[in-house]
Amino acid sequence: MKKILYTIAVCAIAFGVSSCKKLDNYEEPQETLTGSVIDAGTGKTLQTENGGGGTRIKLLEISWSDNPTPFYIASMQDGTFNYTKLFAGKNKISAEGAFVPLVQTNSSGATVVDKSQTVDIKGTTTVNFSVDPLLRVEWVGEPVINADGTISASFKITRGTSDAAFQNDITDVHLFLNSNKFVGNNNYDNRYSPQIDFSGSSANAQLGQTITLTTKGGPLPTKRDYFLRIGARTNYGLKYYNYTDVKTISVP
Amino acid sequence: MKKNIYIIICFLVCWTTACKKLDVPPINIIQDKDVFTSTGGIQAYMARIYSELPIEDFRYSPQRGLNFFWIISPFPAVTGEALSRDQNGAMQENVGESPWGDCYKLIRDANYFIENMPKYAGTYTPAQVNSWLGEARFIRALTYFALVKRYGGVPIVDKVLEYPTGNIDDLNMARASEEAVYDFVAADLDFAYANLSESNQAGRANKYAAAAFKSRAMLYAGSIAKYNTTTLSDGAGNRVCGIPSSKAVTYFKAAYDAALLVAPKYSLYKKVWAAGDKEAQFQNYVNMFFDESSPENIFVKQYHYPESVHGYDAYNVPRQLMGGNGYSSEVNPTLNYVELFDGLPKNADGTLRTTTSGEYDLYANTMDLFANAEPRLRATVILPGDQFKGQSIEIRRGIYTGSSAGGISPLLAPGSTSNYPTANIVQSSNANQTPYKLPDGTTMNPAGLSGVFTGDGTCAISGFSVRKYLVPDKPTSEVLENRSDQTFIEMRYAEVLLNRAEAAYELNALGQNDKDYLQDAFLDINQIRERAGATLLAGPGDLSSVNVVRKERRKELGFENKIWWDMRRWRTADIEQNSTIYRVLMPFYSANDKKYFFDARTDERNVRYTFDVRWYYEEIPNGEIQKSQKLIQNPGY
Repeated sequence: MKKILYTIAVCAIAFGVSSCKKLDNYEEPQETLTGSVIDAGTGKTLQTENGGGGTRIKLLEISWSDNPTPFYIASMQDGTFNYTKLFAGKNKISAEGAFVPLVQTNSSGATVVDKSQTVDIKGTTTVNFSVDPLLRVEWVGEPVINADGTISASFKITRGTSDAAFQNDITDVHLFLNSNKFVGNNNYDNRYSPQIDFSGSSANAQLGQTITLTTKGGPLPTKRDYFLRIGARTNYGLKYYNYTDVKTISVP
Repeated sequence: MKKNIYIIICFLVCWTTACKKLDVPPINIIQDKDVFTSTGGIQAYMARIYSELPIEDFRYSPQRGLNFFWIISPFPAVTGEALSRDQNGAMQENVGESPWGDCYKLIRDANYFIENMPKYAGTYTPAQVNSWLGEARFIRALTYFALVKRYGGVPIVDKVLEYPTGNIDDLNMARASEEAVYDFVAADLDFAYANLSESNQAGRANKYAAAAFKSRAMLYAGSIAKYNTTTLSDGAGNRVCGIPSSKAVTYFKAAYDAALLVAPKYSLYKKVWAAGDKEAQFQNYVNMFFDESSPENIFVKQYHYPESVHGYDAYNVPRQLMGGNGYSSEVNPTLNYVELFDGLPKNADGTLRTTTSGEYDLYANTMDLFANAEPRLRATVILPGDQFKGQSIEIRRGIYTGSSAGGISPLLAPGSTSNYPTANIVQSSNANQTPYKLPDGTTMNPAGLSGVFTGDGTCAISGFSVRKYLVPDKPTSEVLENRSDQTFIEMRYAEVLLNRAEAAYELNALGQNDKDYLQDAFLDINQIRERAGATLLAGPGDLSSVNVVRKERRKELGFENKIWWDMRRWRTADIEQNSTIYRVLMPFYSANDKKYFFDARTDERNVRYTFDVRWYYEEIPNGEIQKSQKLIQNPGY
């Protein structure tokens, strides 16, 4: 009796599992889009932050529609991007971020500048964008640990574009500090990270000058690594930040 | 034979009765003719659409949207007016599809009324018909205003769309420009003003309400024209985000002119106000929010227990008056907000002065610090030790047990976000307190009855509790969720005056001199200040910047769910909230002095507010984007 029951159970399971065969007959997307957003002035990738406040790549798939809903790919914080699950197709690709927009429209909605690239995505497709950042933020020397346990970092800010339409007033500069390498306006330790807010055009005199920011909130906890980055932004559009690269400093 | 004939006759009779037509309107569904042919029917139609008006009242929070009972992420805790244990930072509305979809349903209801009401016009006088049509246009205008202030330009639907009988392509509508939507709102409100009656039932609009809302909507449009920096145009050249700055003067003038229309009918509430009598001014300001006959109420939303209710009292009473549901103290005004008011000792930089030459000032009672406070502050905020419902609201952070010889130095360095040192401070983590024995042998709880407790947030975490709109005589047994029914005042005359003052100030700043606008702004602000018991401006010269007008607005309209929209239209939210930590005021009792001192510090939870620039235009729901080829998303989403 028991044997029969077991036989039935085994059969039931076997039948049950066999019905799990996939019938989804369309191939999963597997094309790759990779590339970088590069500062035209320095030739280096343009630093940004992770997530919604950073650079993103805008894809308009025009192989089947003239008016597609955009698809966005977020950039990594070093300015490169890599997306491995795209369908093959013809795409009009541009980027959005803390740089002079690649696609510009005038007041009547007509496109006056269009530096987007039309690309057939198949296999691994590489697309690079050369952009003029709104601001260029650069380290001056290495960050130092002060005697009182704080960290000071020096940097300078210059304009990344000569187009006066994109030389808006600088609104604020931050020294972002975090305990892991993902650091930026979306991810930082607000107890220690200082900022300078500028009103009006008061920051313009600071352009090209060496500025030093020192962490606030007293001595930093010791025996660990800190990841530092400077971010600055202007009053243009969605006020994206321009960043330096990330520097690591070990507090003994 | 005869029998057979009878049978045949019977049979035929049975047959013919079945010929009665069955195509009759279902009697259990209300038809247009039932609604539109009686004033009662129209009142019922109106009652429902008014109840769905998108106004941010006692049942609104940015976390859960409109018409929701559970308000524990209160709106003031998003703007910096207050702190709440359930709100940890800045946010935009997190309500998915609802404002968009719900608004268009309401617009359809208004359009349906506008199209069908005239068919039954013969039943009524022309004045009645016009007034109702004006009312429907008023509702449509408010709904479009709710959309445009969130999303910028939206599709303008000014007729009932037929689905599925109509042409599907006609239903696929593109966004109009932001300017066009504001103009549409203005045109509807102009029609409403011209056609609505002088007066109406409480809770329904009269012509002055239309003018008042026009002053608000046009002020928003003017501010966006002047301060917005975001631009988005569609392929056809409609600027769906942003308004040309050349339109600023037009809109500010429209706001100013609309505000003037309201003035003859309404006035500031001053029923028990008396010049120079701070207590009377305080009582007057408290009463204003509960007097149904107030000459200041232009447009209100009424509630009535048990069929239409909210829970404002239950969520916001001080901890020591907590009701049976266990909620309290959700809205705790920040020190930043309290410091806006007059009559407090201030440092040179405008912050509250709590120390003299590096030592804390000592006070016998916590209220002594606020002895000369502006009456409007006391009526808006429960200060530590002030009276509410016949009790002294006891707010105390802890007992300082250290030596007081030579004065007490600040517990923390200025601006420090650290925790308080544990030495010399006795504190309590929750409401079950262990009394502390003072040097004179008496005992005292470390924290006040309403906090501050270090372990849970069910207390006045900022050192203050909100008073505005809390019913002063509601028994604690009735301080329950869904048990409050005080009226929400969506539009009061004070706002119209502030709209007028702001529009006048901006017109002056834009070089308009067909009137003495600055003088007008000065008189408006002083009317508000006089009623509030605040210090009057000496002359128009005191209006040194737009911030004087804006600050007055924050003080007068605080905790009325208006300030967030103001911060957005001024485009100052991202500057005000840029890794911002708000400040609190912690009262301590010094055991050796037998006196109180106050420590002004940053929020002990170290909560930071950062407003994302994208939020000036909210994200259009993705479900709507997918339904339409023509809807374009706002920038950055």
